[in-house]
Amino acid sequence: MSTLTKVLVVLLTVFSIFLCGIVVTYVAHADNERERASNLDRQLQSAKARQNAAVESEEKQKEEVEALKADLGKQVADLNILKGQLDAQIDGLKRENAQLVQKLTDMAAVVQTANETLAGMRDQTAVAEQEVKSLRADQANRSKELEETTQALMERTAVIADLQRKSRQLIEEKQGLETQLNQVLQQYGKAPARPRIVTPQRGIAQPVQQQQTPAPVAQTATKDIGLNGRVTQVDMKNHVAAISIGSAAGVREQMKFHVTRGDRWICEILIFDVDTDKAVGVLDLVQTDPQAGDLVATNL
Amino acid sequence: MSPIAQTRGKVSPPSNLYTVILAMAFGVVLATAAYVTFACYTQYRTIFTMPH
Repeated sequence: MSTLTKVLVVLLTVFSIFLCGIVVTYVAHADNERERASNLDRQLQSAKARQNAAVESEEKQKEEVEALKADLGKQVADLNILKGQLDAQIDGLKRENAQLVQKLTDMAAVVQTANETLAGMRDQTAVAEQEVKSLRADQANRSKELEETTQALMERTAVIADLQRKSRQLIEEKQGLETQLNQVLQQYGKAPARPRIVTPQRGIAQPVQQQQTPAPVAQTATKDIGLNGRVTQVDMKNHVAAISIGSAAGVREQMKFHVTRGDRWICEILIFDVDTDKAVGVLDLVQTDPQAGDLVATNL
Repeated sequence: MSPIAQTRGKVSPPSNLYTVILAMAFGVVLATAAYVTFACYTQYRTIFTMPH
């Protein structure tokens, strides 16, 4: 084998190993184009799907935009109408504002006047407070006087109650004495006269009367009864007689009648039974026998 | 190695070294071809046609 052949063999081997290493390295580091193509295909499909979806969405959005546009057009028309109304209201409000400004000006003048009045009223209030203070001091004094007066009134009330009790006792004694006096006077054909009231009666807002001199009570303590009648029946056996007047004329039991005939005094009749129109009594101090028709009287 | 040299009496013993080198080079090429074939088949499921 020649040297050239050997050199070629070695070179062939070296280059073969070198090229094979390059090929192996390239193949080992080469991309998987099939997988890459599949990925690209999937990406393409998904991109197409997204494109379709985007187209549909665009159409939908276009429809929505059209609907929204129509709605907005309607709203714009409504808002234009509303704008016209609001313009009218604004004009009205401007007029009201002008009126209110005028009123405000007037009210400012009124407020100024009211402030001046208020200042005057404050001065008056100060004066009134001063008066109130003086009145309170006066009231305190009056309260003290009232307490003293109330105390005195309570004492007088106690005295009045005592006097009323005594008055009731005197009235009861008076009634008992009047009863006894009636019984005694009726026997003599007399009745107690109503005593003249010495003490003047007091009332509310009565006119002033002239004070009369009180008459002595003893002089008008009695008065004549003044009953007159006739003897209607006489029973000399029992010494009783009936007269023509009774309780209707004022005859009472234990009343004493004088029997007369002309100028002669006959006897006395002491009544013990009284009817409405007649009475019966016992004969006493008989001078002459009484007869029917004789006069009877309580007073001679 | 011409016959002239042999005739001159300079005879060299036969050597298989370069045969071994050639065999190694052939083996390397063959292994590279096998590796490339395996790689193509595993990645593209085909060896000589275009993948679909």
